[in-house]
Amino acid sequence: MHIIVTVKQVPETRTLRMDEATGTLVRDSGTAIVNPLDLYAVELALQLKELHNAHVTAISMGPPHAEKALREVMSMGVDDAVLVSDRAYAGSDAWSTAWILAAAINTVKDFDLIICGERATDGDTGQVGPELAAALNINALTYVNHFELASAGDFTASRLVEDGEEQLAGKLPMLLTVVKEIAVPRLPVLEGKIRARRAPVKTLGQNELKLDERLVGLQGAPTRVDKIFRPQIMRDCIMASATQGQGALAAVKQLNEFLLTRRIGGGGV
Amino acid sequence: MDKVKYRTLTPEIAAELKRIVGDAYVIYGDKERLEVFSHDEIPGTEYRGMPEAVVRPDSAAQISAIMKLANLEKIPVTPRGAGSGLSGGAVPVSGGIVLCLDRMNRILDIDVENMMVEVEPGVVTNEINEALRKHKLFYAGYPMSLETCFIGGNVAENAGGGKAVKYGVTSRYVLGLEVVTPTGEIVELGGKLVKDVTGYNMVQLMVGSEGTLGIFTRIVLKLIPLPEFQVDLLCMFRNTEEAVGAVPRLMTVSGIIPASIEYMNRIAVKGACEYLNESIPYEDCGAMLLVSLDGTDQERLADEYEAVGLLCREHGAYEVYVADNPSISERLWRIRRNIGEAFNVFSKRQSGEDMVVPPASLPAMVAGLERIAERYGISVPCFGHAGDGNVHARLVCPPEWSDDKWNSELPMILDECYRDVAALGGRISGEHGIGCKRKKYMDKVVSPEYISMLRAVKKAFDPNWIMNPGKIFDL
Repeated sequence: MHIIVTVKQVPETRTLRMDEATGTLVRDSGTAIVNPLDLYAVELALQLKELHNAHVTAISMGPPHAEKALREVMSMGVDDAVLVSDRAYAGSDAWSTAWILAAAINTVKDFDLIICGERATDGDTGQVGPELAAALNINALTYVNHFELASAGDFTASRLVEDGEEQLAGKLPMLLTVVKEIAVPRLPVLEGKIRARRAPVKTLGQNELKLDERLVGLQGAPTRVDKIFRPQIMRDCIMASATQGQGALAAVKQLNEFLLTRRIGGGGV
Repeated sequence: MDKVKYRTLTPEIAAELKRIVGDAYVIYGDKERLEVFSHDEIPGTEYRGMPEAVVRPDSAAQISAIMKLANLEKIPVTPRGAGSGLSGGAVPVSGGIVLCLDRMNRILDIDVENMMVEVEPGVVTNEINEALRKHKLFYAGYPMSLETCFIGGNVAENAGGGKAVKYGVTSRYVLGLEVVTPTGEIVELGGKLVKDVTGYNMVQLMVGSEGTLGIFTRIVLKLIPLPEFQVDLLCMFRNTEEAVGAVPRLMTVSGIIPASIEYMNRIAVKGACEYLNESIPYEDCGAMLLVSLDGTDQERLADEYEAVGLLCREHGAYEVYVADNPSISERLWRIRRNIGEAFNVFSKRQSGEDMVVPPASLPAMVAGLERIAERYGISVPCFGHAGDGNVHARLVCPPEWSDDKWNSELPMILDECYRDVAALGGRISGEHGIGCKRKKYMDKVVSPEYISMLRAVKKAFDPNWIMNPGKIFDL
C-alpha cells in the first residue's frame, strides 16, 4: 500500500511581520515550518502505515529550502520525499499547483491514498486538495475527521460538515483532506531526525515533468490578486464624561439617548 | 525580629514625598492600591507586609531625595521591580515606603561597538533582547519569567534562569552600576570596562544584595553575539537516577556545553502534562531532561544535538524528542514552564525551594529529597536547572492535611532538606534569594562569622538600617 501526503512549507506565524506599505508578508522575517495543518495528514498516514504496513511518501512544491519541511516529516516517520521545485513554477496559484503536483505524483509510482491538510496557514484557500483529486481523476473527501481502512481497500470515514457529521464508506483510491480532529501529530524523535538528515530527497522540475509553460507558474494561474489591504476598523466612540460627580446627570442622559437610538433600553433619569 | 524602631509615615511625610515625585506618583491612604505592593509571587499569605506609601520616582535625583528624607524620618524603604520575586525580597515587612522602579524603564544606549547596553532598572528583561535582535546581539543573563521581570530585580537577586549552564548568571554580565546609596548619595560603580581593578569590586557586591545596600538607577550590561539557532531535546528517562546521572556525562563526554539542561521528576512531569492535556506518552516517564543547544551555524548545531541526544540514549533515555523550530520548541518548553502553575492549582499550600549543590552532587540531593518526601507523605515535584546543580523543589501540602499539621511539619521537613544540602556543600538558595522567606534557615548553611561579615557591610552602607530591613539576616 502506498500513501502520499502533501506538505507545504509556510512561515511561522508568531515571528512573522507584514510590510505595512505593500500589505505583503515579509518572507524572510520568520522561521519556515511545515504547515501545521499538514501535520494532521502526516499523522494519519503514519498511523495507517503502522496498521497496514504502508509506504508513505511526502511531496511538496516550493523553493529549494522547502526540502527542510520534507526532512521534518521524514523525521516523524515518513519513508521518502519528493520536492517539486522549478523557477517556472513560481507564482502558481491553487489551480496550477494542483496540476503540477498531479504531474509529479504520476511520475512517482502507483498510489492508493493521498492525504492533504485542510488548508495551508499562509494562502488559506483549502483548494489544492480537491483540485489535485480532480487533476488525478479520483474522488475526494474533504474535512475528514475519522478514517478507517478495512481489507481490499474498503474504508469508512466521517466528515465534519456544518450541521454535524457525515458517515461514508467507499473504496480506494481516494484523496482526503483532514481536519485537526483526525489525530494528534507526533513529535519528531532523535533517530528519525538522524535518518531524515541523511536521507535523499528526490527533486522534480521542468526537466522531468516537461509541463506546458503556459499552464504553470504565474502565467498558468487564473487567480488575480487585485489588492491586499488591512481592513480599516471604524469605531465612532462617543465619550460621556463626568468627573468627581460633576456632570453625571448630563452624561447619563446622553448615554440613555444613545441607547434609545439603538433601540436598547434607556429609562428615566 | 528587627531591633530598630521605625517611625510612622505621617501625612506630612506623604506630602513631602509628593513634592519630590509629583502627586500622581505617590499612593498613600488607599488600602486597595497599597495591597498590590504587599506581596511578591510566593504563593500563600505568609510572607506579606503592607506598605504605608508607594512612591514611583523617575530619576536618581528623586530617589536620592527620598532616601535622605527616609533617613531623617527613620522610615524604612523597600525597593521593588516587577514584584515577580520568590523570596519576599520586595515585600515591605516593616511597613514604610515601597520604592517602585516601574517608571524608570528606558533602554538608554545600545552600544554596538562595545557590545554593551545601558538600561534603567524598570526595563522588562525580555524587552532588552527584543531591542538587541536587529543588532544580532544578545543579553544572556535572562531568567525564566520572561515577559514580566525587570532587569533591576534580576541584578538585585543575581537571577540565574534557563541558560546559566552555558552563559552563567546575571552577575557575569553586569559591568557598571549607578547606585543611590541608603543614605542618598549617587555613586558610579564600574562602567563600560571589561577590566577594572580600581579599588574593591563594588559592582559585584551590589549584584545579589537583594535591595539592602542600594538602589540601581542605571545598569551597564555586557552583550554577546546572538546565537541565532536553537534546538531542544526532550529526553524521557525511566527514573531520576538515570536522568540526573546522565547530566554530568553530557558535558564531560561530548565536550559540548548546552545552553540549558532542565530536569523534571515524575511528579512534575505528570502534574504539568495533565494540566496541559499534553499527549506525549509520559505515563512511563520517571524523569525528563530538557536540553537546549544553541549556536550560529545550523549544520554544526545539528552535529552537536545528535551527539548529545545519542549520549542521552546511551545513558538510559528511552525516547528523545527533537524541536528545531519555534512551534515544537514551545510545545516542549511549556511543559517545563507550567509545572509551577499546575501545582498552584493542585494545592495553594506549598513551599518553593531553590537549593543548590555542586553539579555532580545533584543525584544525591534529588534522591535525598525524594526520601524525605516519602517519609512525610508529601509530594515534591522537582524541576529546574540540573546543569547548574540548582533544583526547584516544591514541597506541596497534601490537600487532606489541616493548616496546623502543615505549619508544624513544614519546618521539620525543611530542616531535614537543608541539612542534607549543607552536608553536600550546598546552599539554600541558588537564584531566588534569601529575602524574608529563608533568613531563619541561613544558619543551617553558613557560619556565624559569615553572617557577622554581612552585618558589618550592611552597617557601613546603611547606618540607620532603613534600606529593605528584615531581609537576608536580622539586624
